[in-house]
Order: sequence, then structure tokens, then C-alpha cells
Amino acid sequence: MTVTSATGTMRIVRPRRVIRRSEAKWTWLLVGVIAAILLIWEAAVSWLQLIPASFLPPPTAIAVSFGKLLVDPEFWGAFGYSLGNVAIGLVIAVVVGVTVGLAVGWSPVLRFTVAPFLWLLYSTPKVALAPLFILGLGLGSESKIALVFLLAVFPIILNTMEGAVTVSTSLVNAGRVYGVNGVALGWKIIVPATLPYSLSGIQRGAALGFTGEVLGEFLGGTGGLGHMLEYAAYQFQMDDAIAMVIVMVIIANLTLLLISTLRRRLAPWYDDRKIAGAS
Amino acid sequence: MTTTSIERNEAGAPLISVRDLSVSYDVARTGKRLTAIEGVDLDVHEGEFITVLGPSGCGKTTFMNVVAGLVKPTTGTVLVGGSPVTGPGPDRAVVFQDYALLPWRTVFDNVKFGLEMQKELKGAGWRERVQDAIELVGLAGFEQSYPRELSGGMQQRVGLARAVVAEPRILLMDEPLGAVDALTREVMRDEIEKLMAATGKTVLFITHSIEEAILLGDRIVVFKSHPGAIKEIIETGLERPRSERSIQHDPRFLELRDHLWDALQGEATAAAVSK
Ligand SMILES: Nc1ncnc2c1ncn2[C@@H]1O[C@H](COP(=O)(O)OP(=O)(O)O)[C@@H](O)[C@H]1O
Ligand SMILES: [Mg+2]
Repeated sequence: MTVTSATGTMRIVRPRRVIRRSEAKWTWLLVGVIAAILLIWEAAVSWLQLIPASFLPPPTAIAVSFGKLLVDPEFWGAFGYSLGNVAIGLVIAVVVGVTVGLAVGWSPVLRFTVAPFLWLLYSTPKVALAPLFILGLGLGSESKIALVFLLAVFPIILNTMEGAVTVSTSLVNAGRVYGVNGVALGWKIIVPATLPYSLSGIQRGAALGFTGEVLGEFLGGTGGLGHMLEYAAYQFQMDDAIAMVIVMVIIANLTLLLISTLRRRLAPWYDDRKIAGAS
Repeated sequence: MTTTSIERNEAGAPLISVRDLSVSYDVARTGKRLTAIEGVDLDVHEGEFITVLGPSGCGKTTFMNVVAGLVKPTTGTVLVGGSPVTGPGPDRAVVFQDYALLPWRTVFDNVKFGLEMQKELKGAGWRERVQDAIELVGLAGFEQSYPRELSGGMQQRVGLARAVVAEPRILLMDEPLGAVDALTREVMRDEIEKLMAATGKTVLFITHSIEEAILLGDRIVVFKSHPGAIKEIIETGLERPRSERSIQHDPRFLELRDHLWDALQGEATAAAVSK
């Protein structure tokens, strides 16, 4: 080609990155509110003794229990047991969910026949099935893994499906025009276009799966964080029980953070705020 | 007003030859068949710049998609370089109205996507070709940007680079500037005019802007709707190089503009009445 540049006199200026300064302000406000609540709580229980400490232990007592937990080998054993089950259940759910979601989203036939059932199952309260799982699969890991899978798989399927359905025709056309077809069209266009949706489903699936694990251990388990929590509650060791709950909240949030970081890494092109997804 | 027939006094067979082309779609919602275009005949010779002008919904995109190999003709034939079109091919590239860039690829990798069909990625020199195409459309320095970081005009420059990188014989452009802001549109019109004049490509350029059709086209194919069909074909006969500015006061431009205005006005009214 002989033309060196087709640009006229227009200069193209790189768009500035958006700085989210206001978000930092909100974080500080949140920290302030939490500090205030803790202070009032401590005052009500330890200093004014409005509430008996055996019912609601003061934050300082919970902090001590929390510290003890972190050096307790039994806790770390339970931690490993629970997270291991969640991880196994979640991996199976991701493989099954993404595969089924892509297939159903891509094939109109499957979409009309299978999708209604998926939505029906998704909206069924599956936790109600937890006792059946424990009866059927026993008190060990199997029933927990099955429960994690069951709770995690639907948001993954449905989000992936939605992603696959909404891939724009012109992207597929662009793929075809530039020589991509058949299976390659799937993994060069459909899969990457769907990835952010899948990750969004996985994020929600992980949160639900973790709930499933704890619930399973609660209902009938021989180990894990849920089991430890149940034990502490029966012993009426409220400080231990609350410390356990805090641990779970931390785990759940770290998982969400991990997956949203992953999402930003794997799909940096996608604006988080654009994906609503099934929830 | 000179309305030439489809035959042109040029040596050799036409590069694109469309005969009695009709396309109808099954409309799932109503269960009926919709005739998008009917009885379209057109010959396009190597190096010609054809603009296709018509109201929206008259089948311009459908027509272009058939030439691109994305839509199969219901009846009729489309020959490119003498052989029937059976699907997309490396001899044709498309610039889409909504850009259709892959959002997960950088500018560089999007342009590289244009070489996908060539199997030339393995050959030497492909990096230079991609870089040249990026520079050609004035996007040097943005190789590592993602499409979402670019303005609409810049995204379409990427679309243009992706189309020209493999040096296809035919460029198909479907309202490429339709979604671009007015100021950028005028700049880019002139750029496309220069670019195509320099490369001598055969172009099928769809638009619903009268000025654009005149500025860019050697011939203007005017479509009518219900059903979509060619209403007339007009030779512009304006000197090249042209620019937005140079043709503004050209009497031929004014004459063409008035004529097309009347033709489209009639179409728009007919379309409104028939609905
Ligand atoms: N895939 C399709 N299925 C059904 N109808 C379609 C399809 N594509 C286009 N049409 C219809 O065909 C007609 C022509 O569409 P199109 O070629 O996009 O026109 P234009 O590009 O001129 O606006 C319109 O009425 C449109 O609704
Ligand atoms: Mg169109």
C-alpha cells in the first residue's frame, strides 16, 4: 500500500482512566461505622452490663476466641476439610455448569427444551434437599460435595447460558468473514465472549456452595467448620461460636474477592457493572 | 440526469456479478416469509467504488451479506471473480456498522484477526503488515489498547485496518460511519476516499447518507423497499480526488443531491404509507 497515513489533521487523544476517588471516602465511612458499633457493643455488655455476656459476648472476648482459633490445630483441620469439599464440589460444578451452559445457550433446540427445566430447578429451594443427601450419601464428605455441587451448578449454568445467548451476531459474522468456522468459532468467539458471564456465575456459585457445605456439616457431619460451629453453639460457648461465624464471613468474602480479581485478570475488557446475570 | 445501465464499457468480466438475486427470511415471530430483496442485478468491475443508498430496512445489509457469503441467496446467483459465492473468502473483507471488534483482543490482535483466514500468520512479515495497517488508519500508539478504551471513530478505524490488512480484492462496508459522531464522520469519509483511491480496491459501500453516497461513489446504487430492489443506478462522474470541501459547490454534486433527495423522499413516503 502506498498511503503512509490516512489521518488528516485530527489528533487522537488517549482517554484518561477513571479515578474512583469517592469510593475511598465510603470505605472510611464504613470503617467508622463499624468502629462505633463495636464500641457501643463493648460498652453495653462489659461496662454497663445491659446484656449478659454469656448470651452476647463482648467484642474483646470474641477477639480472644478468634486469636485462640487461629493457633488451634483442630480449627485448621476443620478449615482444610471444609474448603477441600467446597473446592472439589465447585470444580465439578464449573466443569459441568460451563459445558451445559454453553451447549444450551448455543443450541436453539436445547434452549427450548432444556432451559425451562433449568430455570425451574434453579428456583427450587435446594437446601430443602440437604437431609436427603445426608441420608443417601452418608455423614462423610460425599454428601457435602454433592450439596456444594447442587447449589453452585445452577448459577454457573444459567449465567453461562445467558452469556452464550447474548453473543452478538455481528461478532459471529466477523469471525466467519475472517475465516473462523465450526468448532473454532466456539472457542475463538463464543467462549471468550461468554467467559465474563461464567465467572460471574462462578462467583455466585462459590458463595452458595460454601453455604451448602456449612449447612451439610450442620445437619449431619463428622468434621469441618460447620461442625465446629455447631459444637461450640451446643456447648453454649457463644464467643467461640461468633468467632467461627466471623471466620466464615471472612472466608466467603475472600472467595468473592479472589474470583472477582480472577475475573478482572481473565476478562479485563469487560465492565463488571454491565453483567447483571442470574442471581 | 444520466442513469446508466448496468453494462459498463470496461475490459474484462466483472469482478462481482449478481443475477436475479432474491433473499427471503423465515420470520419466527409471525411464521411468515419476508422477502428482503428481489430481482437484484448488478455488475461491479475491478477498482470500482459502489455506494448503495436506500432507506433503512430496504435490504442493503442483506444484499451485502450475500456478497460476503454470510447469507445464502434464496434464488439467483452471485459470482465473485467468476465463481459462485459459497461462503466467506479471503478475497472479501467486511467492515461492520457496529464495528464487531473482539473486546477481549487489543487493537493489534484485532487487526491480526484479519489475517486469520490467510494462514499467513506462520509466514514471515505478518507483524509488519499488522503494524502497517494500524499506521495506515492513524492508530499508531494504540496497539495495546482495548476497543472499549477507544472512541467510536477509532474503533471503526480498527475495523478498517482489520479489513485491509489481508489486502482483499473487495471491501464490503455496511454503513461503517453510521454509528460515528458527525464530525469524525466527515473526517473519515475523506480518509476512506483517499485510502481507496490510493489502493484501488473494489468497494461496496452501504450508506443512508446522500452526501456520503455521492462523495465516495463511482456509481450509486439506489435501493427501494417493499420489497427491496434496485431502483436506479447513477454514475456520479465527479473528478477524483474528491473531498467534502471540494465537491460542496460543484454543480454536478448539487444536481445529484437534489435527484437523490427526491428519489429517497418518495421511498420514505411509500414506506411510511405501506406500514
Ligand atoms: N435474519 C433475519 N431474519 C428475519 N428477517 C430479517 C433478517 N435480517 C433482516 N431481516 C429483515 O429483512 C429486511 C431487510 O433488512 P436489512 O437487510 O437489514 O435492511 P437494511 O440494511 O437496508 O436496513 C428488514 O425488514 C429486516 O427486518
Ligand atoms: Mg443495514
